[in-house]
Amino acid sequence: MPFLRISVLIFCLATCLRGYSQGNQKIKGQVLDAGNSGALIGANVYWEGKTSTGVVTDLEGGFEIQAEPLPAKLVISYIGYEKSIRLISQKDAEKPLRFFLKPEELRLEEIIIQERRPDEQIKNLDMGKASVPIETIKNIPALFGEVDLLRSLQLLPGVQTAGEGTTGLFVRGGSADQNLVQLDGAPVYNASHFFGIFSVFNPDALKKVDLYKGNMPANFGGRASSLIDITLLEGNKEQLHGNGGIGSISSRLTLDGPLFGKNSSFIISGRRTYADLFLKLSSDENLKNNKLNFHDLSGKFSFILGEKDKLSVSTYQGSDFLGLDKEFGLGWTNWVSSVNWNHVNSENSFFDLQAYHSRYSYKIDINDPENGFEWSNLLTESGIKAIWTRNLNTKTSANWGLHSQYYYFAPIDLDPDPDSGIQAIKTNPKNGLLNNLFASLSYEISPKLSTEAGLRWGLYNQLGEGVEYTYPNDIPNRNLETDSIAFGKLEPMEFYQGLEPRVAFRYLVNEKLSFKAAYNRNFQYVQIASNSSAGLPIDRWVLADRYTQPIRGDQFSLGVFKNFDRNRWEFSLEGYYKDLQNVIDLRNGAQVLFTDQVETEILSGEGWAYGVEALLRKNTGKTTGWLAYTWSRTWRQIAGVSLGESYNPRYDRPHDLTFVLNHEFSPAWSAGLTFIYTSGLAVSFPVGTYEVDNQKVPLYSNYRNQDRFPDYHRMDASVTWRNADKGRKWRGSWNFSIYNLYGRKNPFAYEFRDIYNNDFRFEPSDGKITSSRPGVVMTYLFTILPSITYNFQF
Amino acid sequence: MKRVWLLIVSVIFFSCQEEVFLPLGEKDQLVPTIEGIWTDNGIYNSVKITLSKDYYDSLDSKVITDAEVVITIPGTEKVIPFRYFGATKSYRPVNPAERAVVGETYQLFVKWKDFVFRSEGVMLEPPTVDSVTWKFQEKRLFRDEGYYIKVYGKVPFKQDNNYRIRVIENDTLKNQRDDYLLFDDTFGLKFFEQGLELGYAFKENDRVRLELYRMNRDAFDYLNQLVNLLFSDGGLFSPPPQNPESNIKVVQGKSEVLGYFMVSPVLARTVVIQAKYD
Repeated sequence: MPFLRISVLIFCLATCLRGYSQGNQKIKGQVLDAGNSGALIGANVYWEGKTSTGVVTDLEGGFEIQAEPLPAKLVISYIGYEKSIRLISQKDAEKPLRFFLKPEELRLEEIIIQERRPDEQIKNLDMGKASVPIETIKNIPALFGEVDLLRSLQLLPGVQTAGEGTTGLFVRGGSADQNLVQLDGAPVYNASHFFGIFSVFNPDALKKVDLYKGNMPANFGGRASSLIDITLLEGNKEQLHGNGGIGSISSRLTLDGPLFGKNSSFIISGRRTYADLFLKLSSDENLKNNKLNFHDLSGKFSFILGEKDKLSVSTYQGSDFLGLDKEFGLGWTNWVSSVNWNHVNSENSFFDLQAYHSRYSYKIDINDPENGFEWSNLLTESGIKAIWTRNLNTKTSANWGLHSQYYYFAPIDLDPDPDSGIQAIKTNPKNGLLNNLFASLSYEISPKLSTEAGLRWGLYNQLGEGVEYTYPNDIPNRNLETDSIAFGKLEPMEFYQGLEPRVAFRYLVNEKLSFKAAYNRNFQYVQIASNSSAGLPIDRWVLADRYTQPIRGDQFSLGVFKNFDRNRWEFSLEGYYKDLQNVIDLRNGAQVLFTDQVETEILSGEGWAYGVEALLRKNTGKTTGWLAYTWSRTWRQIAGVSLGESYNPRYDRPHDLTFVLNHEFSPAWSAGLTFIYTSGLAVSFPVGTYEVDNQKVPLYSNYRNQDRFPDYHRMDASVTWRNADKGRKWRGSWNFSIYNLYGRKNPFAYEFRDIYNNDFRFEPSDGKITSSRPGVVMTYLFTILPSITYNFQF
Repeated sequence: MKRVWLLIVSVIFFSCQEEVFLPLGEKDQLVPTIEGIWTDNGIYNSVKITLSKDYYDSLDSKVITDAEVVITIPGTEKVIPFRYFGATKSYRPVNPAERAVVGETYQLFVKWKDFVFRSEGVMLEPPTVDSVTWKFQEKRLFRDEGYYIKVYGKVPFKQDNNYRIRVIENDTLKNQRDDYLLFDDTFGLKFFEQGLELGYAFKENDRVRLELYRMNRDAFDYLNQLVNLLFSDGGLFSPPPQNPESNIKVVQGKSEVLGYFMVSPVLARTVVIQAKYD
């Protein structure tokens, strides 16, 4: 009994002491704005479920509240800010706490509403224009978890891909080099890393992307099919912020904040892969010593120069490198920079001046004592563009200006090592100056009918220094004797000019329904001399010259646009017809990489494409996404290909269905799902075999691409978990995604070859051949590819 | 370069392969394939004529045995008749002593059924091969450990520098798509004077026969296109597959024709790899 009494006494003492301790314990803290760290005065602080015993913050955002039995949840709320709930433990209670509240207007769905008016698609004059919010792109399940801008654009109607895992875009029947990809106004010549698997744009550094598939404003030009206009984010002017992510194959970090006081800001963003590290884990010595990586770095510096002037400087640099056992190295680099000055002349008059420089280079290094060499090439485009904009009245606005572009394609330079048996190769440089004058007028004819008419006039000069070859009958032929004419620096070599009219109409039936029509002409003075579908880093760009005429693209489009359910749902149906003149292909066995007479390898002809695109889209609410269907056909007709008959290029895929779905289950959990179904690629399969030179050779039809890969379909899914906002500066989230959820074996390539010993892996060098028969071996990529990414912001 | 792309693709794409069956089209009529070789050495001179077949047909190609084959020298009355030899399944000159002479132009005529096919080539002067050596090499990038042969020679020509080296190892022609050794003067020909290393690893006591051909451009282009086609996997990095452009024309009848006609000198050397002479 004495033991029982002592135990009860100890229990009572302990309970009383604990009660005395907590009864006097105070929790101290401060509530701050997450954006600028300013004190939030009058914020409510209370224990969950006990609002009546709460306190409010003082002039410095500070508070002191009587402790509850811990652990317990402390709630911080403030009008206009997101509520923060944090679990407070005894350990937390021993130190001052800081809570950072995020303004409610920074929430994702609100941003989308602000960026785009709900009835935008009904009332504007845009046709074939698609804007995808960067936050939407970030929510789309991604290959290797790498959020990819260009791959996301492939999910839009009218945009095709030429194969699994590539970022090349084929817009409304145009080839990949007919897209102008520009970053803050500066063109990017090779917009991909890893041979086209990833695009070069780090999504954390981007503000927005606009894709123009059809009617391009007159102040843009230079490509026949599309404009992908990407804008870098500007840094905030209040406080240093950061965000980033650690992914399966790369990590990234973005920092932004004020630069010199509150009138200037910066944002710097970097990304680097670590595929090399995985290669080092390989037991194969050949793989172990290889290098494979890319990085990119971008920055933007913005300055408010006064009430009427703003200056921003943007730059991007990105490189890839592939190294094989110190004997082979291939690297390529993009470096684009631009300066933009925006000036407000008056309330209705504006002036924008832009200067840019884009530089793309590659280098191949073969380290071999007898045949080693270094092979490099460089191309640059420099430009200046001035735009005057004037709002004449509420119904009329106009803009006009000029755009000068100077192209310099450096000589192909193959420089042998000192003891190498290989001879040096140096081709002649190519230069071009393109001056464009443009003007456009937007006019509201009546409340229902509006129009926008524009004209762009391009004046192109091929300039020296350079060499022009002459051929019998003016037909390039590498097997015939040629003569050549040398031109001095800036000496005119060839001249082309062309008017590019653009016109669009919109008829507003009512607030929810409109019809639109547009016509657009573009000239393109540069293109890639290649007949493979994938863009390669060593692709040969060619300028318009005596033998290669500029591409002319004409597009007609018609559309109906309808919104439903208070603009929550958008529907559009667009049809188009596109005509292309002077598109190029290569002759059989063409060698374009080292020749100075690339015109002898080129074939020229025409193309056309037509299609209908339907898009049903939901932009707001917890569930967002779109369903898109495109029916289209693409044709080319080039003398020397397919016996001169029309044929479908590889990316002609008549049916294309995409479904993109994002759903936010709670502030912590969200999920994404995409489904793609497209017709198979247009390809050529053998129609027989024959024997020549002791080889069994597949026999092909004389008509190109009359066969098809099987239809392509794939589903990707992702789940994102965000750490509940506990008012801390650091906020993390985990993204788990699966590419090709149901493991569809979509063919990447078919190889038609002999199968030995009934085993397609058996090579003749592996041993004795007991049997041989013709077979088909399919290569496929990426079946059920999971990835995980940790993202953070602070 | 294509091989480098293939390596890259296989490294970074997590690619998998499997054998599949694809329904394939067929030609309306089988296509004659002519392979004519006319050199300054009688053992090489032959014309093979076969028919194409359906892709999945694993039987041997049908040999055409009833064609009329002649080689002529334009501007002269010279006609070199050929006849079919069952042992070699090819047509050979009736007079085995007939062979190509440097500087002459030769025309091949093949008449089969109602069709007549014609091709033409010029016999070019051969380059000089000074010596053939070999040396043991450790394993290198894309090259296994073994003995590597170097051919030293001189090419005094300003044009028509289109060469092929065929390698016969222990009586077996190296005949995989990787084995083709074709070169021209795109990168100069200094490497031939400094010693052209053949990309094959040999073992000691291997008996290696080398044959150097100097071809007309159209035959060289044909073989280059053939190799490109053999490497084509129909993927993103390959150009659309096309039949190599034949230098044989159909001059009578409505038919396609495959194959090529090569007129070339042949320089042949045989060496036996021996370590003591390394």
